[in-house]
Amino acid sequence: MKKRIISGLLVASMAFALLTGCGNKSEKESTESSGDENTLTVWCWDPAFNINAIQEAEKIYQKDNPEFQLEVVETPWEDLQTKLTTAASSNQIDTLPDIVLMQDDAFQKNVISYSDAFVDLTDTAIDFSQFAEGKVSASIVDGANYGVPFDNGAVIACYREDILEQAGFTTAEFEDITWDQYIQQGKVVLEKTGKPLLSCLAGETDVLAMMLRSAGGGFFDEEGNALIADNEILKEVVETYIELVKSGVLIEVNDWDQYIGSLNNETVAGTINGCWIMASIQTAENQAGKWKITNMPKLDGTSSATNYANQGGSSWAVTKGSKNPELAADFLGSTFGGSVELYDNILSTGAIATYQPAADSEKYAQTNDFFGGEEVYTKIVEYASEVPDTINGVYFYEARDAVGTAITNIIAGADISTELKTAQETVEFNMQ
Amino acid sequence: MTKLRNSFQYIFLIIASAVSVFPLFWMLIAATNKSADVLRGTLVPGGYLMENLKTLMAAQPVVSSMLNSFKYAVVLTIISLVICSLAGYGFEIYHDKGKDFVMSIILLAMMVPFAATMIPLFRMFSNASLLNTTLGFILPSISTPFLIMMFRQSARSFPHDIIEAARIDGLNEIGIFFKMFIPTMRSTYAAAMVITFMNAWNNYLWPKVIMSDDSSMTMPMLIANLTAGYTTDYGSLMLGVLLCTIPTIIVFFVLQKSFAEGITGSVK
Repeated sequence: MKKRIISGLLVASMAFALLTGCGNKSEKESTESSGDENTLTVWCWDPAFNINAIQEAEKIYQKDNPEFQLEVVETPWEDLQTKLTTAASSNQIDTLPDIVLMQDDAFQKNVISYSDAFVDLTDTAIDFSQFAEGKVSASIVDGANYGVPFDNGAVIACYREDILEQAGFTTAEFEDITWDQYIQQGKVVLEKTGKPLLSCLAGETDVLAMMLRSAGGGFFDEEGNALIADNEILKEVVETYIELVKSGVLIEVNDWDQYIGSLNNETVAGTINGCWIMASIQTAENQAGKWKITNMPKLDGTSSATNYANQGGSSWAVTKGSKNPELAADFLGSTFGGSVELYDNILSTGAIATYQPAADSEKYAQTNDFFGGEEVYTKIVEYASEVPDTINGVYFYEARDAVGTAITNIIAGADISTELKTAQETVEFNMQ
Repeated sequence: MTKLRNSFQYIFLIIASAVSVFPLFWMLIAATNKSADVLRGTLVPGGYLMENLKTLMAAQPVVSSMLNSFKYAVVLTIISLVICSLAGYGFEIYHDKGKDFVMSIILLAMMVPFAATMIPLFRMFSNASLLNTTLGFILPSISTPFLIMMFRQSARSFPHDIIEAARIDGLNEIGIFFKMFIPTMRSTYAAAMVITFMNAWNNYLWPKVIMSDDSSMTMPMLIANLTAGYTTDYGSLMLGVLLCTIPTIIVFFVLQKSFAEGITGSVK
């Protein structure tokens, strides 16, 4: 009897060993292919956008380095963050690829939290002064550069010229204005056409963050302390936002799909977002020629206020899991940090450069028929160069969520200073 | 009177089923429409199915992801059914106090959320070079407290007289398990199979963490990829979701009758 059980167990363990054997084999194969000296692995997430861009960069780099190969693994941003956290907190940095693409909002957080995971690029051949300053600042930690800027997140205000005309306005009248003027004109548009000027996600703080950044503000001071309750800029921002909601000029929607829907279905007469929103607007082909672009409104009562900000956008980082960080840095430096040709090639996908020399190329001077036949790309690069520096900090997402909750309560009738104080306490609690 | 009550019941049931079927219906409709039409909330089937299919096939490795998902789910289901049913059977038939104690520890393990063990697990698997492998996918869920408990409960209703009779007739213990227990408990196995297969098929977090190779991608990962960009093509996204749902629907419908029996724990 016992013998039989033992033999049964033996068979089971053999089957197991066999399976393990298969496993190990395929693992070896995969490390062999990516362990090659001239191959880099990259994680990024959008085939139509950043994956396409890095593959274009590969082609350009291959001209001088024919041996060079890129292995791109499509990884959605949320998952990339999970994998990064898992690998870094379990101390398995070598499971990371050579290059990852990172959202600018999360860049400083990740570099500060997992300082062993990223390569300092300050002393490489990459010339960071060629990029828009406001963009580079998102990937600087303690004075060191950790990221090569990729896409432009310069904020644009898009308007439906045809709807504005019905209310007696043109998009030009929305250029270089303040939020006060925006609300006044928005009320007229709402009255005459029944369409609000702006839609955004309820409980999310994208619009607030844009207003805040446009005046060089943030949720934290330079030492990294939470600056919410006594933040004068934030107070003005919140008041403006509440005014927008109460006047009906801004409607809140429940999710991202509804937000895109409100643009494509003509529910609203405009939007304010990072310039990457253009790609989504252009999916409504029947609206070609009806849209126009200008800069965002600025705050009235703040001296540092501008009409420019960043929203979204991402940067490439080299990880310490890379077997060949010099190659990775050289690749990024001579493509995203040095090739106008690359930016020309990817412009049609909506990837607009923050690399200043690219803006001087002929391609950028092209007009875009969808957006009123104007030179939108030149415009956007110009906006990007005007964006003030801001500090996101490690706890940007925590602060954003806390302020989001405060906003929801204030709209429901709560007091502004009390709610901001609660938000301040929540963030401080999270930071402990 | 009863007729009136019946008609109320029917009206309620019709509404309830309409509500639960609507998302599936909408998924079908959306898969045949253009992205812009989906956002507009159309409820009429469109003629865009083939276009969506083309976009989907061009953008993502659908076939290999489907095959991967199948491979992982089938291997995991078979192995975990054998292991968990053996364990559940052992806990019940060779019952003693020590085993009760072990069982309570196993049940305690059920309370620990997966996210809490993920980082140490990742460390172990990475050191054992099990990243990007089938074994890496199946090992953490090869034996689940829930399945062990399910088999233990159903072994309780397995008549001990049969075991005694089989022993007298000269069948050994392993033989009793394979020749008597498994055939009698077919419906429990079916229920366990549906649950394990669905869990394995829908498993997202763990494969996402350990699979970083396009060639080992699964269907849920593929769908996540479809929503990751700045612009989402809702038509092909819904088609992807549809493709991902079909296998679980088939498994469920094939085993539906036994599933219901197995969950309620009947013995034939």
